[in-house]
Amino acid sequence: MDEMGEKGLRDALETRISRRTLLRRGGQIAGVTGVGAFLAACSGSAATTAPTQAAVPSTAASAAAPSAGAAASPTAAPPSEGPMGTILNFANWPAYIDVATSGPDKGKSPTLLQFEKATGVHVNYQEKIDDNNSFVATIRDQLKAGLDTGWDLMALTDWMAARLIGLGWISKINQANVPNCRANLRDALRNLPWDPNNDYHYTWQSGMTGVGYNKKSVAKAGMPPLTKVADLWDSRLAGHVTFLTEMRDTFGLGALKLGIDPATITLDQVKQIVNDMQPLVSQGLRFTGNSYLQDFANGKVWAAMVWSGDLASSGSADDTFVFPEEGTMIWSDNMLIPKGAQHQRAAEAFMNFVYDPKIAAQIEDYVYYVCPVKGADVEIKKIDPSAATNPLIFPTPAIVAKQHAFKILTSDEDQQFNNAFNTLMGS
Amino acid sequence: MSRTSHLLRRFLTPYLLLAPGLLWLIVFFIFPTVQMFLYSVSTGSVDFGYRLTWSFAAFTQIPQEFSRQFANSILYGTLATILTFLISYPLAYFIAFRGGRYKNVILFLVIAPFFTSFLIRTISWQIILGDNGPVIGLIHTVDVFHQVPQNFTFMGEPIAVVSGLVYNFLPFMTLPLYVALERIDLRLIEAAQDLYAGPWRPRGWIYGALGGAALGGLVGFGISWSVPAFAAAGAVLGTLIGGFFVSESFLRVTFPLSLPGVFAGSLLTFIPALGDYVNATLLGSPKTQMIGNVIQARFLESNDYPTASALSFVLMVGIIIAVMAYARVLGTEDLSGGVTI
Repeated sequence: MDEMGEKGLRDALETRISRRTLLRRGGQIAGVTGVGAFLAACSGSAATTAPTQAAVPSTAASAAAPSAGAAASPTAAPPSEGPMGTILNFANWPAYIDVATSGPDKGKSPTLLQFEKATGVHVNYQEKIDDNNSFVATIRDQLKAGLDTGWDLMALTDWMAARLIGLGWISKINQANVPNCRANLRDALRNLPWDPNNDYHYTWQSGMTGVGYNKKSVAKAGMPPLTKVADLWDSRLAGHVTFLTEMRDTFGLGALKLGIDPATITLDQVKQIVNDMQPLVSQGLRFTGNSYLQDFANGKVWAAMVWSGDLASSGSADDTFVFPEEGTMIWSDNMLIPKGAQHQRAAEAFMNFVYDPKIAAQIEDYVYYVCPVKGADVEIKKIDPSAATNPLIFPTPAIVAKQHAFKILTSDEDQQFNNAFNTLMGS
Repeated sequence: MSRTSHLLRRFLTPYLLLAPGLLWLIVFFIFPTVQMFLYSVSTGSVDFGYRLTWSFAAFTQIPQEFSRQFANSILYGTLATILTFLISYPLAYFIAFRGGRYKNVILFLVIAPFFTSFLIRTISWQIILGDNGPVIGLIHTVDVFHQVPQNFTFMGEPIAVVSGLVYNFLPFMTLPLYVALERIDLRLIEAAQDLYAGPWRPRGWIYGALGGAALGGLVGFGISWSVPAFAAAGAVLGTLIGGFFVSESFLRVTFPLSLPGVFAGSLLTFIPALGDYVNATLLGSPKTQMIGNVIQARFLESNDYPTASALSFVLMVGIIIAVMAYARVLGTEDLSGGVTI
């Protein structure tokens, strides 16, 4: 545990418990199963933190509503030409923004403070998203009805962003307010099939899914260094491997291993992947979220499917991330303005602000994910020269060439794929 | 006051008193249950809404797809209940009859873990049972002849899940047992002894050995280790307990009088243990998933509401039937000597 440091511990605890949805769901499920009610009562903290409705943002929103001067219905979004307001309610994932580790602002985000100074808008930044599905479940009814969700900005993964945009639940961005985004969005992130003109989203961060392993443990098992996804199937590693609980990551790498293109994957191919993985499950394969960090630290796991930034920022010196020969899965979390947002103008101002390469570099130097902003590599050299050549933050062309995105699934496919995945995981 | 209004009031009062509770049940139990059933016979998706089609496909797939997880739930839930009972009964007995002035302190210690979050307590078991944890360490230290394989592990095995359940639900068994035992009039036991109830029961060791073997075998089966070894160990323990610790007065007076506590404690343990998914998530592996895990995953990961609702419904109906059967056997007044809960 020691070598993981504070961030690692926090990640491990937070994600073990929450990113993988356990607790928040406790409260929700409890109501449905009846028998689970007892559990919710026991796990008191879980039930009380369940984000059924974002209380703070709602009150803040209604308090600020008069200043927005919206003469129309109280839930109609103010026009984006309107005044900035004084608050921005931003829902994001844990450990996903820069935090000052020393000085008078220790524990606060310099980026958010600078934004407040520049615009007068206070960002009510909440790490409320641990899982796409469970977060959207908390605001689904308001979105459906076009009501205020309490959030002005939220970061959701591509597939969920695409789905919400498709359902018409996301507000259109006034491009005149986001010149930085238009100029600096990396080319690879433009022209995405689900939002080709970036009418509805700009990327917050991207990341890759690949193979991670502990050099010492793998050497002890008598194996050469891992180079590909298929190495995770090696019998010498049996019982010491974990895959991810994110369906798209695990099936994505599983597809690449079998030579299947994840961008056009079918249910039959998913079944092929499941059959390929099933023997590993009987040998003791487990599925985890970020808690693989803990498993690496205590030597239980020797190799795993991992997300690109984690081992670099929170693993030990022997833990490495490999860009597998078959390729990596690439994903992004995207800033979206939900329909009914009360502070759209402020949300756009914030998008524009973080697409300033200087600000982007500042965030990147802390979070270690793939930067969506052009020019940040130049800026980051000024604050941390080693980060500018780190392929985790700025992947080389060879790596980019082998990045794969997962197919955008229809609602039905999503359910079928998830059912297949849950069956593989024993549930 | 007129006579009619007086009568009306007498007629209405009980219903008015019932109203808050009834309303609560209707809003938070009846309505969700009906809603859940309707979901289970609907088709559609969470984004576009569900349409009631009276399709029972979600139910018909259950035996084939989910029988393993149902079996796991029943097995682990039963084991957890039996093991918490075996641990709690002597504990509650000690507190009630031998606790003296430390009674309240010991009771407090039983509840003390509950001041920590359920999750933190369960996660702590990952450390206790982990591969680098104290238990495995001790096993390898004691194992001087290297009979235990190096990759021997608890985590992800049924024993870890059952351990977690036993630990987490222990107070729910201990407290009702304590209440039942504490109420027993000690003069009844003295009276039994006056009436020649001996210090131990004739042939107690035989029953002890048989019961112990059966329980041991079940535990061995449940945690998928050697059934004969556990049955043998259970038989030895059972012989000792049946032979030396179970007196006639205990069997004829104390135990029957404590049955309401046994009934309440076992229900408070078994029902939540059956639906639990936290222990299986944190301590188990794909092999040891329980039905609660499936319901959780289908509701919130697959967004497959019909299947999840059907599973919840089956689980609920199953529990109600089991509890009613159990209540008929153990809840009757003849068994508990006229003491009702």
